[in-house]
Amino acid sequence: MKKHLLGFSVALFVFTGLSLSVKAQIGSYAIRNAKIITVSGATIAKGTVVVRDGLIESVGERVQIPADAEIFDGEGLTVYPGFIDANTNIAIQQAPPTPPGQANQPQSNSNYPAVLRPERNVMGDLKAGEAQFAGQRSYGFTTALTGYSDGIFNGDSAVINLAGETVSEMVVRTPFAQHVTYTTNRGGGFPSSLMGTFSALRQMFADAKRLDQIRKMYEKNPRGMKRPESDPALEALIPIVNGEKPLVVNANAEREIIRTIDLAKEFDLRLIIAGGQEAGKVADRLKAQKVPVLLSLNFPKRTVAANEEADPESMNTLRLRVEVPKTAGKLKQAGVIFAFSSDGLKNMADFLVNAEETTKNGLSEADAVRAMTLSAAEILGVSDQLGSIETGKIANLVVIKGDLFDKDKTITHVFVDGKLFKLPKKPEKKTTPANGTIAQVGGTWILSISAPGQRVEATLVLIQTGSTVNGTLSSALFGSSPIKNGAATDKGFTFDVNVSVGAQELSVAFNGTVEGNKVEGIADTPQGPAPFTGTKTP
Amino acid sequence: MKTKLFFIFAVAIFAGLAGTASGQTNTDVLIKNATVMTAAKGTLTNTDILIRKGKIDKIGKNISAANARVIDATDKYVTPGIIDAHSHAMLDAINEGSLSVTSMARTRDVLNPTDPSIYQALAGGVTAANLLHGSANPIGGLNTVVKFKYGRPIEEYLIPGAPPGIKFAMGENVKRGRQPARYPATRMGTLEVMRDAFERARDYKRKWDDFRAGKTRVPPKKSFELDPLVEVLEGKRLVHAHGYRADEHLNLMKLAKEFGFTVATLQHGLEAYKIAPEIAKFGAGVSIFVDYWGYKLEAYDTIPYNAYILWKNGVVVSINSDSDERIRRLNLDAGKTMKYGGVPEEEALKMVTLNPAKQLGISKMTGSIEVGKDGDIAIWSAHPFSVYTRAEMTLIDGQVFFDRAKDIAMRETLKQERERLEKNEANLPPEKRLKKPEKPDGDTKADETKPEETPTPAIEGGIDR
Repeated sequence: MKKHLLGFSVALFVFTGLSLSVKAQIGSYAIRNAKIITVSGATIAKGTVVVRDGLIESVGERVQIPADAEIFDGEGLTVYPGFIDANTNIAIQQAPPTPPGQANQPQSNSNYPAVLRPERNVMGDLKAGEAQFAGQRSYGFTTALTGYSDGIFNGDSAVINLAGETVSEMVVRTPFAQHVTYTTNRGGGFPSSLMGTFSALRQMFADAKRLDQIRKMYEKNPRGMKRPESDPALEALIPIVNGEKPLVVNANAEREIIRTIDLAKEFDLRLIIAGGQEAGKVADRLKAQKVPVLLSLNFPKRTVAANEEADPESMNTLRLRVEVPKTAGKLKQAGVIFAFSSDGLKNMADFLVNAEETTKNGLSEADAVRAMTLSAAEILGVSDQLGSIETGKIANLVVIKGDLFDKDKTITHVFVDGKLFKLPKKPEKKTTPANGTIAQVGGTWILSISAPGQRVEATLVLIQTGSTVNGTLSSALFGSSPIKNGAATDKGFTFDVNVSVGAQELSVAFNGTVEGNKVEGIADTPQGPAPFTGTKTP
Repeated sequence: MKTKLFFIFAVAIFAGLAGTASGQTNTDVLIKNATVMTAAKGTLTNTDILIRKGKIDKIGKNISAANARVIDATDKYVTPGIIDAHSHAMLDAINEGSLSVTSMARTRDVLNPTDPSIYQALAGGVTAANLLHGSANPIGGLNTVVKFKYGRPIEEYLIPGAPPGIKFAMGENVKRGRQPARYPATRMGTLEVMRDAFERARDYKRKWDDFRAGKTRVPPKKSFELDPLVEVLEGKRLVHAHGYRADEHLNLMKLAKEFGFTVATLQHGLEAYKIAPEIAKFGAGVSIFVDYWGYKLEAYDTIPYNAYILWKNGVVVSINSDSDERIRRLNLDAGKTMKYGGVPEEEALKMVTLNPAKQLGISKMTGSIEVGKDGDIAIWSAHPFSVYTRAEMTLIDGQVFFDRAKDIAMRETLKQERERLEKNEANLPPEKRLKKPEKPDGDTKADETKPEETPTPAIEGGIDR
C-alpha cells in the first residue's frame, strides 16, 4: 500500500520551486480524514472518498479502502465536486486564416445567411488534448459547457470534461443545446436590426414546425404530395420547436430577458437564459416559466478613468454595477435554478472571486457552491453523472487546503474522470539570493510553453549582468518582445514580458529553475499558469 | 432660458429612477376647480373632473367623492393627455433596412420601457404615442401604440383594443443608395415594390383560403411578411405612410384604391396642403410637423399654413414630433397653428389630442375629456399654448405618472443616491479601485474587466424623417 502525505507533497513543491507533475495519473485513490462537501447530501466532517477507474467508488465516514489505492491524508483538506463552468467558448479550434485573394465566406448550400445556421455543432471543431485546460483546472474546474459564440444561431454546444487526449474522451454530452445571440447580419443583409433578428427567428421556428408536420405527412403517404424540402437549418430546429432540446439565449438586460421569455412562450420552447445580469429583476417571470439561468460572473465595473470634463455616468449604469452581484441571491430567493459561468470573464481567477462576491450579496456559501456544481449539472442535463460527490458518479473532484471561500486557500489536487492532476504550487516570486550563489542563466534558450489551449515554442535570449537579466522572448505566435524586471536567482531566473496575441496584450510572468542546460518552470498568464521546459543551445 | 435648461436636466436625472413615478393603486381622483379644455365640448371654467377606476366618471361643478384623491387645480388648465402620432421613443431598433419589404419586423419585439425619453415626454404632458418603424423601405415594420406608463411592466404600456398598424414609406429615404445596393432606386420602383407585395399577399391569402376550404392537403408556409399585408387588405391593420411630396401621396392613394385598402395617416405630408381636397375625399388623416422644413430636398416645399389648409378642407390633422426632444413641447406646436392661418383654439388642441387618437383608432378610449373615456389628463400651470406653461401633473388611466412637485422633491434623494453609488467599488474609476489582495495562487490580473459593461442593445440607425 502506497502512502502519501498530501501536505508533504505540497511542501515538496515549494521546496523544489517547481512541480511539473501535470501529467495525469489514472488509477485508484483514497482521500481520507478530509472534509467532504457532497453538495447532494450532508457535509461529511471527516470522511473518505475512494476514486477508482474514473468513478467515485465510495464516499462516507467509514468506507473500505481498496488494497490498490494510493492513500492521501486529507487532514485540513476539503473535497468538493469538480467545478462546472456553465457557459464558455473554450477548446474550439480557430479556422485557419483565409489565404489572400480568396473569398472569406466559406461556400455553403444553406438557404440562410451565415448568421442563421443552427445546423452547426461545436463537436466538429473541438480541440483535443488536456494540456489546454491547465488554467481552468488550476482553479478547480473539471467540466464546462462550450459552444461557438458567433452568429445569431451559435449552433449546438457540448458539455466536456477538462481532461482527455481525444475529443471522444473529453465529451460528456453533445449536443446539449442550441444557442442564440441577439446579433445581426453585419454585411447589411437581412436581418440588419434587432427587429429583423426577432422576425428571422420567428419565421425559422414556424418553418421548422411546418417542416416537421409535413414530413410526417409525407412519411405516411408520399403519393400526390410534393416532397418536403431538405433544409439542414430547419431540420436542426425541429428538436427545438418540439421542446426536446433546450434553447440557450444570451440575454442580460431586463427587457432582453422578457422579450426572450415571450418568444419562447410563443413557440413553447425549452428556454435557458445565459448571461442574466438583470435576471433578478424578472425572477418571477423566470420562475413562472421554469426558465433556468446560466449566470455570468463577469460583473460590470467602471473601466473609464476619472475625468473632470466628462459627463456623469447615468444612474442606470451606476445602479447596474451595484446590483449585478445581487442577482444570484435574488434568483435563489425566487426559486429560479441557476448556475455560474465565466462567460465574458477574462480571467478565471475572477470566477472564484466573484462567486465569493455573491455570498456577500445575499447568497449562502452552500448555494454558491451548488451553483458551480450540482445546479450546473442539473441545467446541463448531466446531474446523474456529475455535480456531487456520490457513489457511482464521475470522479470529478477538487481538493482544497482550507475552504473554497477562505482567503488563504490553496487548490492542491484536481481529479477529472478519475485522473489525478497535482497542481503546481507557484514558487515565491523574485527571490533574490541571500548571499553568493547566483545561477548562470545567460544564453539562448529554446522554450516549450504549455499555454492554455496550445503549446508555444519560443526562443529566449538572456544577457546576464550579476543578478540583473535583460533580453528578448520571441516566437512565431507573438513576435519578439523585450523582457522586463529580469533577475537571476539562486536557482534560476524570473522576468515579466508583455506579448501580443491577436489583438490581446498579455502580461506573462516567467519563473524558471535551471539545472545545467535545462530549465523548467511556470509562466503565469492571465488565463492561468502554463508550465514550460527548455534547453540552452550551446 | 437657463431655468428651462435646468428643468430639462433635472427631469433627465429623475428619469433614471424607474418605477417611482407610479406604483399607486387605482384610487379615484378628483381634480377640483380647473379650467378644463375638453378638446371635444369647449372649455369649461371652475370645473371638477372625477376619475373612477381609471375612467372619467363625472365632469361638472362642485363634485364631491369620498375616498378620492383630491387635486386642487385652481388657476390651472387641464387638457386631455397629449398623443404623438409619430414617435420612435422606446425603440431599441428603428429600421430593418435590409429589404424593401420588412412587414415581418415588429416594434413590439424591441420596446424599452425604461427609456428616459418616456419620462421626459410625460413631463411635457404626453400620455400616448404611435411608435413607428423607420422609413427605410417601401413597406416597413409593424408599429405599436402605447401609453407612457413609465415604471410599469411592458404589457401595461399596450392599449387594449388599439388597432394594429404598419409603416409604409415613399421618397428619398426609400430610394437612396445603400450598401449593399437595394431595389428600389426610384420612386417608380417604390410603387412597384408595394404593388408586388400586395399581389403576393393576395396569392398567399388565396393559398390559405384553399387550404382552409379543404381544397389542398399541405398547409402553406406561414409568412410573417405577408400576414400583415393580408390584414391591410382586410381592413384590419392601419397604414401609416411616410411621404413628403404631393405626387407621392396621390400615387399611394391610387394604389390603395387599386387594392381596396385605406390609409390611416399620411405621415409628414409636407406638401399635403397642395392636395387637401383630394386627401379629404380619400379619407386619410395627415400627421405633420407644425413648422419644420428645409432639412432635405423633398422638404423644401411646405408652409406653416399646412395644418390650417388641411383642417379647413376637412382633413383630420395631427401635429407629431418624430423626436424625443420635440415630443416634450407638442402643446406649443399645437398653439402655432392658431398663429398660422388662425385655427380655432379647440381645433388646435385637437391636433395633439383627439385627432391623433382618431388617426390611431383609439378615440373611443382617449384623446378628449369626456365621460366614459380613459383618465388620460395633463394639468398645466398656465394656458397650454403659453410659452410659460409647464405640465404639473400627467395622469394615465387616472394614475399619476408625472408630478412636478414630486420630481423636485426627489432630486435631493437622487443626488444622495448618486453619491452613494459613486462610492461603490464597482463604480470607482479603475485607478482608484482598491487593488484586490494578492490571491494565494499569485494571480496578478484581477483588476482586468471587459470594456463593454452595460447590457444595452445597440440602436440601429437614427430617426428617419
